[in-house]
Amino acid sequence: MMSERQPIIQARDVHFHYTPGRPVLKGITLDLGPGATAIVGQNGAGKSTFVRLLNGLLKPVEGQVLVAGVDTRQMTVAQLARTVGLVFQNPSDQLFKSRVLDEVMFGPLNLGFSAQEARERAEAALAELGLEGLEARNPYDLGLAERKLVTVASVLAMGTPVIILDEPTIAQDQVGVRQLGAIVDRLARAGRTVITITHDMEFVARHFQRVLVFQDGRVLADDTAEAIFAQPELLAAAGLQAPPITRLGQALGLPATVLTVEAFVEAVRAGEG
Amino acid sequence: MRLSLYVPGDTWVHRLDPMTKLLMTVVGIGLTFLLPSLQGGTLLLVLLLAVLGSAGVLHRAAAVYVGVAIVAGTFLVVQGLVYPGNAVPALTLGPIVFYREGLLVGLRLALRLYNILSATLILVLVTHPSDLVEAVVRRGASPRLGYVIMAVLQVIPTMMATASTIMDAQRSRGLETEGSLWVRLKAFVPVMGPLVTGSLIATEERALALEVRGFSGEGRPTFLKEEVIPPYATAARLVTVAALAAGIAGRWLLGW
Amino acid sequence: MAVIEVENLRYRYPRQERLALDGITFTVEPGEFIGVIGPNLAGKSTLCQALVGLVPHFYKGAIGGQVRVAGLDVHRSTVAEVSRRAGLVFQNPFTQISGAKLTVYEEVAFGLEHAGVPREEMRRRIDEALRLLGLEAVKDQSPFALSGGQMQRLAIASVLAMEPEVLILDEPTSQLDPAGTEEVFEAVTALCRRGMAVVMAEHKVDRLAEHADRILVLHQGRQIAYGPPRQVFARENVAALGVAVPAVTQAAKALGWVLEDGTYPVTLAEAVAVGQARRGGR
Ligand SMILES: Nc1ncnc2c1ncn2[C@@H]1O[C@H](COP(=O)(O)OP(=O)(O)OP(=O)(O)O)[C@@H](O)[C@H]1O
Ligand SMILES: [Mg+2]
Repeated sequence: MMSERQPIIQARDVHFHYTPGRPVLKGITLDLGPGATAIVGQNGAGKSTFVRLLNGLLKPVEGQVLVAGVDTRQMTVAQLARTVGLVFQNPSDQLFKSRVLDEVMFGPLNLGFSAQEARERAEAALAELGLEGLEARNPYDLGLAERKLVTVASVLAMGTPVIILDEPTIAQDQVGVRQLGAIVDRLARAGRTVITITHDMEFVARHFQRVLVFQDGRVLADDTAEAIFAQPELLAAAGLQAPPITRLGQALGLPATVLTVEAFVEAVRAGEG
Repeated sequence: MRLSLYVPGDTWVHRLDPMTKLLMTVVGIGLTFLLPSLQGGTLLLVLLLAVLGSAGVLHRAAAVYVGVAIVAGTFLVVQGLVYPGNAVPALTLGPIVFYREGLLVGLRLALRLYNILSATLILVLVTHPSDLVEAVVRRGASPRLGYVIMAVLQVIPTMMATASTIMDAQRSRGLETEGSLWVRLKAFVPVMGPLVTGSLIATEERALALEVRGFSGEGRPTFLKEEVIPPYATAARLVTVAALAAGIAGRWLLGW
Repeated sequence: MAVIEVENLRYRYPRQERLALDGITFTVEPGEFIGVIGPNLAGKSTLCQALVGLVPHFYKGAIGGQVRVAGLDVHRSTVAEVSRRAGLVFQNPFTQISGAKLTVYEEVAFGLEHAGVPREEMRRRIDEALRLLGLEAVKDQSPFALSGGQMQRLAIASVLAMEPEVLILDEPTSQLDPAGTEEVFEAVTALCRRGMAVVMAEHKVDRLAEHADRILVLHQGRQIAYGPPRQVFARENVAALGVAVPAVTQAAKALGWVLEDGTYPVTLAEAVAVGQARRGGR
């Protein structure tokens, strides 16, 4: 069994392809543990493929993925779902119930919670995403932004130690992005392992301690958000850009890398003061 | 997600233009009804299997044959037991007696079923639906009709793709879908409802997107690809028509 | 001559009480790039669909006011007629694939074939669209074997290749990497220079501030503002309603950094200029 110190997810020289001769992942080795980790990188770099390997939907062609110390090849996806919750990139791939509440209760019920408990968990998750009042609606009738939030709620309600969000901020407005950020912060503080794929660099800068830069099936960099955003050449090579406020700080020659508007304002005031 | 049963490949059958393959399929089905005898049906089946075999799709066809075996078996059992002309017992299993006449009728029916199926598979497995539709539209059919054919051909593949997507979503949230046949069957039940809705929605959304992408079904379209008809297509068509003629002649002149 | 004229557009979805769009009025000239911003449920997607006639022809419901696009009265024309002049890229890239084509290259050809574009011209346009959207490397792949961002690029390429007079994009960069986002904005700006009119719903206000000629702000179906980015983002009511404002503008407001004309900077370049003047002149 797993010891206290063992990282909950270990990838060991993971290789993967959908079609032979077209490698998608080319040897990924890394550990993931408590806290918020962002995965960023170009379209087609293999980010979504990688997280599907973490919840067992895909199995490595070479190498291994260990979840809580066990090779994913030795477990079914349903067994892995007790540990790893995955929100898909495309909400239509995930939603299949005709009522929002049933959708969100589906996971907890499968994990063995009673109907009463499942309902409470579902309602709490919906509330955290600001979706109260939509319980009886059909997910298909909702807009893309709300549909995406329903998928997040349905995984959140399962309470898994590992939560993977594939591009949660798609179609979200400012309020939605803030809510998602608050959820990431809360889960990370509670010691859960939160892995988030995103192209929103401001979201990364604000909420993630660790950043993995994927490029062409490899991990190009693995560092803190500050360190990553301080390297324009690295970012350019991976099709990325630091958030505008960070670039403004760099252009004005602020001594430290600033990641948020508040930090920028403070740094400028400190310089003036 | 795959949107058809088409098996890609580069055999002489694949390179044949869709209209020739359509002709082969139609003639194959026609001959099935022209040649009701056991010998005629068997000969036809051999010919059709030879075409499928040289196209390298027998393995895929076999899957379909196995699926239909239940129906064929039913023909044999029912006719063997209750065919009105039954006289000579052929097989006795305790109190159950199968008769020779009935079994032969059942066998002919089963053969006919497999012939129709095999003829259709030439079109379905070796011709990409969009190529077929394109060939028909090139010959003056309305693009609107072409789209309807396309949509119908896609119903089953769309449902298959939707089913696997839904099952992935369900097992990712803890529903056991792997393991014994029983587990898998049980897992399939909750897929049925969302499957129908999901497929309908997917079809509707696609129709909407196509409408906006300028697909109005009016005016004559142009084609990205030039139509390629291999030189041997004429020969293939002649042979096919000759087979039909032989069937007709055999049936009415020689009394096969 | 304006190529889009919307006058007092009001619309309510079937079985809904609230108006999804309420009194929208704006015009767009050829070559203009309009950004549409606002929180979710503000009516951005509904407006996009109203510009090609899906609202009300497909979604039904009650409609009022006037929408003219490329000389057509949208409410009195069919979606097919409008679509020949105006292209729409939907918000969800996953549902825009025709399903009739085997490769990315052929998928882009789909609309061109039905428009009756000659083969040589078709190839030229497909090549250009694939290049603009960075899809050359996957052009022979199946449209269904793409990553989310690649699929979104394909959806845009398919519509760009049609070279419509009016291009409407509903959050076209939501799944694109930052470089891809910049490429799309640059491609769109280049097309505007050739005379195409563009309407783009987007959350990425810093990109819009950089590229758009005018910004239309929606909030709960109402039009809150319509004007050049600098004017719109300076308005107090815009930020107060929960509408996103570029980060550099937020910072400038907090620090009281204004340009010579008294407005706040909205682009990175403007903010750098003001910042340098301020800090240098210290
Ligand atoms: N089902 C599939 N079959 C074949 N190839 C695929 C499939 N899904 C993705 N690919 C290919 O695998 C590569 C990686 O895709 P993946 O979805 O992991 O990228 P990603 O990093 O998540 O990109 P994005 O930021 O666009 O979501 C891409 O080149 C893509 O074309
Ligand atoms: Mg992805």
